[in-house]
Amino acid sequence: MDQRNILDHQFVVAAYTVTWVIQLGYLAFLGLKWRREKTIAERKSRQPR
Amino acid sequence: MKKILLTLFPIVTILLMVQGYHQAIYVAPDDAMQGYVFRIIYYHVPSASVAFFFFAISLIGSIGYLAYRRSHPHRAQISDAWALAGAEVGVVFCTVVLTTGPLWGRRAWGIWWTWDARLTTTLVLWLIYVSYLLLRRFAAGPQMQTLAAVLGIFGALDVPIVYMSNRWWRTQHPAPVFGGDQDSGMKDPTMVHALLWNMLAWFCWGMLVLFLRYQVERRHQQYAALEAQEALEANV
Repeated sequence: MDQRNILDHQFVVAAYTVTWVIQLGYLAFLGLKWRREKTIAERKSRQPR
Repeated sequence: MKKILLTLFPIVTILLMVQGYHQAIYVAPDDAMQGYVFRIIYYHVPSASVAFFFFAISLIGSIGYLAYRRSHPHRAQISDAWALAGAEVGVVFCTVVLTTGPLWGRRAWGIWWTWDARLTTTLVLWLIYVSYLLLRRFAAGPQMQTLAAVLGIFGALDVPIVYMSNRWWRTQHPAPVFGGDQDSGMKDPTMVHALLWNMLAWFCWGMLVLFLRYQVERRHQQYAALEAQEALEANV
């Protein structure tokens, strides 16, 4: 592999990695949000009205 | 049936992702001009297409909210949840476009960024929807949803401008892959297949995330309504 191909490869890896970091990061954020809503619901159901 | 679908759909999405990756890296050939780095297109273009689709969902949700807010409050809340989910997931995909684009540009053009029509209108689109999300996060009161819906509609007006920008103006950005003139687009069918597989995979991924975001928002709306009801009862 020459220098140009190595650099090209590194840029492709960087682009694909960044994409997955953003997507999975957002999915994790949604998971946390979901859990927080669930916790609030459970707390509310335990409280006497 | 619903449970089977909810289990099956993520599995199908993962399989599509694997197939898309395989097509992009191992099947599609190098581009004659750009070489290996051209493979960024298989994540960059699908992300842009999917972002446009989700901004369209946000537009429909915003119009729905404005149309139903007085006559059908329940439908208005559902529309609002779709509007928010569409905008948020659209911003995520648009962020991918705005990060993979400069990485590709650095290798292909030798620069990270240039203020050409396609890049600038995409950045403006991203900024509009980020401001939409900030409005929803920090504004309070009964007018917030209405203001957000109006902003969502205005934001969507930028989508056709972004789409047409490299057709209306000759820009640094390459000509469109689909719907351009005869000289533009991909000539190799394996490249087109790789792009279509990745489009399908990212579309399914986006739908999955959109559905999850919608569910979280609907849950949030229900508790907010319950809290408001309790506060009202406590005051009476």
